[in-house]
Amino acid sequence: MSALITITILALLLLYLGLFKAKKALLPVALIGLMVALVLSLMEWDSNAAPIFSNMMLYDRFAVAFSGITIFLTILIIALSKDYFERISSNVAEYYALILFSLAGIILMVSYHNLSMLFIGIEIMSVSLYILAGIKKRDFASNEAALKYFLMGAFSTGILLFGVTLIYGASGSFDLEGIKQYILKDPTAVSPLLYTGITLLIVGLSFKVGAAPFHFWVPDVYEGSPSLISAYMSTVVKVAGFAAFLRLIMFSFAPLQDFWIPMIIGMSVLSLLIGNVTAVYQQHFKRMLAYSSISHVGYMLFAIIALNGSSDNAVFVYAAAYSVATIIAFGVLILLQGQVGNDSFDSFNGLARKNPFLALTLTIAMLSLAGIPLTAGFIGKFMMFSKALSSYHIFLVVFAALNAMIGIFYYFKVIVAMYFKEEDRKELIVPVYFKLVLGFSALVTIALGVYPDFIASLI
Amino acid sequence: MSLLSILIFLPLFAGLIIVVLPSSVREGYKYVALAAVIIQVLISAYIYLHFNGNVFTGIADQNKYQLVERLPWISLNLGAMGKLQIDYFLGLDGLSMPFMLLTSVVMLVALLASWEIKINLKGYFALFLLLDTAILGVFSALDFFLFYIFYELMLMPLYFLIGIWGGVRREYAAIKFFLYTLFGSVFMLLVIIGLYFSVTDPATGYHTFNMLSMMDPKNYVEGSIFSALAHNELFGVSARLLGFIVLFIAFAIKVPIVPLHTWLPDAHVEAPTPVSIILAGILLKVGGYGILRVCVSIFPDAAIQSAWWLGLIGIVSIIYGALNALAQTDLKRLVAYSSISHMGFVLLGIASITPEGISGAMMQMISHGFLSSMLFFLVGIIYSRVHDREIPHFRGLALIMPKFSAFIMIAFFASLGLPGFSAFIAEAFSLIGAFNSESINGLLPRWMAVCGTLGILLSACYFLWTLQRMFFGETRLFGGEKWKIQLTDVNAREVTALCILTAFALVLGIMPSLAFDKMNASVLELIRLVNLK
Repeated sequence: MSALITITILALLLLYLGLFKAKKALLPVALIGLMVALVLSLMEWDSNAAPIFSNMMLYDRFAVAFSGITIFLTILIIALSKDYFERISSNVAEYYALILFSLAGIILMVSYHNLSMLFIGIEIMSVSLYILAGIKKRDFASNEAALKYFLMGAFSTGILLFGVTLIYGASGSFDLEGIKQYILKDPTAVSPLLYTGITLLIVGLSFKVGAAPFHFWVPDVYEGSPSLISAYMSTVVKVAGFAAFLRLIMFSFAPLQDFWIPMIIGMSVLSLLIGNVTAVYQQHFKRMLAYSSISHVGYMLFAIIALNGSSDNAVFVYAAAYSVATIIAFGVLILLQGQVGNDSFDSFNGLARKNPFLALTLTIAMLSLAGIPLTAGFIGKFMMFSKALSSYHIFLVVFAALNAMIGIFYYFKVIVAMYFKEEDRKELIVPVYFKLVLGFSALVTIALGVYPDFIASLI
Repeated sequence: MSLLSILIFLPLFAGLIIVVLPSSVREGYKYVALAAVIIQVLISAYIYLHFNGNVFTGIADQNKYQLVERLPWISLNLGAMGKLQIDYFLGLDGLSMPFMLLTSVVMLVALLASWEIKINLKGYFALFLLLDTAILGVFSALDFFLFYIFYELMLMPLYFLIGIWGGVRREYAAIKFFLYTLFGSVFMLLVIIGLYFSVTDPATGYHTFNMLSMMDPKNYVEGSIFSALAHNELFGVSARLLGFIVLFIAFAIKVPIVPLHTWLPDAHVEAPTPVSIILAGILLKVGGYGILRVCVSIFPDAAIQSAWWLGLIGIVSIIYGALNALAQTDLKRLVAYSSISHMGFVLLGIASITPEGISGAMMQMISHGFLSSMLFFLVGIIYSRVHDREIPHFRGLALIMPKFSAFIMIAFFASLGLPGFSAFIAEAFSLIGAFNSESINGLLPRWMAVCGTLGILLSACYFLWTLQRMFFGETRLFGGEKWKIQLTDVNAREVTALCILTAFALVLGIMPSLAFDKMNASVLELIRLVNLK
């Protein structure tokens, strides 16, 4: 719990630093503060997890693991923000503070034990993101992204809230344990209100994670938002959304599997299909990443379809692999957009010759996203496929395997452009922070792929 | 760390050295690589000499493997599903040991051919050595997951080697090659996972990826998807048969069989010479090796069930490959199609499931490894001199390149199965196996052997016709006098590489026992295992 308090205080501290014009200190303070929060949250690993704050939250291993990974990813992203916000406006402290506020919401989302806390967490996160998506005030796309994100977000939260109330109506409780007990009492004679409630909850959360058919906002918002914020949304926010989803389903709704599994399978298939097929036709790297992120949701849903005690483990590994690789991709994208002003696949031509380091890290990221062995992404996909096969969803896995092939096709477009196409170009200038983040992330990706034990046995 | 691990990771280590070396010593990279590959040849020669084929029969018994190394690698806790146990598990038996030597020799030849590479040397040699590691790993891995990792690891370096250093349509060829192979291996992964859930390790009781455990029907969980007793069905087909087919397709793409061969001519034509040598010399053998080690050993019942089809595919590949070779005007494409034709004998031999047939198939893989490397090396020599390899553009080369022509005659005659060379023994044994199959186990009808013989005839046609068109007669060249000057005869480096290959083809042709003695016991053991079902 100390992580949540640290992050909130850190955000306030940054606002004060901004007030006193200590701009140079913002980034280091934010990084150090987050590292402290990371350590504090990991220290609660083996503590006896009991619900706290009148059963509002439960900081169990699940919560520790997912808040650990979200904080870790935020550190990586904030490290990429050096000189990024300055180009947009001179009041940068607010941006850092907003990111941290949304992170505070995310910590709530992964550790709630009461549906009202889930709602509050989502709102804290979303409101900060609505602003962040639109920080490029003079940019039309950014404004569009903010508006779209706001409308869709508000709409989905409404649906979510409606679901929560229906569940309350049926079970008389907001508490995860209470709902579970209500279902377990007699799983065959559950009030129909509850079924409606579950459906609406799933729909609301699917909006948040961007699973098809509730994905329409994803490409436009990711494309329009400033790249750094897109990176944050497609990694940290997505992981948090998924953790919230999984926590709800694992904790409370597991006995009603027969009801919601077909829904999730449908969403998974649609996400895979729409995400992958549309990504093939993209000409721009950022939009391709947006669609591919939809397809990755499809894979992650496998863990929910084949729900058992190790689902959290599988999602954790997959999310970590996916997020780290995505951060590399967005890191390169930020450099490219800043210095070339374009992110079409052609603008990657000949990058390997001028920036071998960038090309290498981006290649590792693409291989990981494509799920090639010896990268973290392969381990993630392997775990998802094993899970789904262990519960005999053979059609689904065959379908997913075909989709993985399609995925390789578009991820390799970038590699082809960088290595196989020659073009005279200027060398991109890579700041030290970027080198650190990209190199570190690439190392993590390979290390996870070669020796996944140390992370996968965490939860 | 056993000798085998050293052998596998030595190239990787050399590759890392090349990566960290400054580019001012660019000319030194190839010598680092050469040193590594020569040490590799020496180690594998040592392994060959100290390999006792009668003791180390291998196949399904860990104690009968030589140089076994088994360390726990990944152990993921999967909650209700128990523990995911993946071992770093290596070992050699009569089926894999010959390929270690073959790989080392072919890599040496390919490296000698790499002298022609002029751009981006650091990347080239690093990838080359990474590929070397992956190939050696595939041939020695006994854990299915480890096998898969090495199998996939072969793809990446090859993709870049074709894509960066290849010809005009390199991008297309590289992605085609990649997607084809990946198509097979993605589904192979699903079967691997299925096998994993079906098999438990008798020692620990956990599910396991150990290939040797998968070969023993006793280790299958009752009622599990691939259990032979449960007779499960998937999509209306017996699960074991389906598993066999999926694995077979994955490896058959590598072999390649008709109709899954279309990536091969493209990849060969676009790939630089050394990569063609590796592709034809070793990678196609990974397919054949995989069919023996994985498909036949793990699914023997399904192998017998589909033997007729395997034989048919073999015949079709032999004839179709040969007919296509006849129609080619590009010398490299011709050699590529001849590879498809010759690899058909491997399939035919395996399908017969007789000692002669499988020994013949093994021999054909080894022999073809040396001979196809030689052919591609020879094609590369012409191409590197005039950047052309259209057959009609050359005539009477024997007059201006006598030594080269001597080598090409050796290679052509050896490939078409002239007695005294390894290919003769290999093809003869495969055909004997196919011919005897009807009386021994009734798997293959005799006409298949007859059709196979037709393939030898066709290969004589296309090789001799090419010889006639390109090398005999008056010298007439498309490029005129300029080409005459450029077409210098083979130099010392090329002679070395070619002599190595000639020597192997000749020695194996005269004394085939050098190879048969090492693998015979394993082949018999494999057949015993298959006939248990």
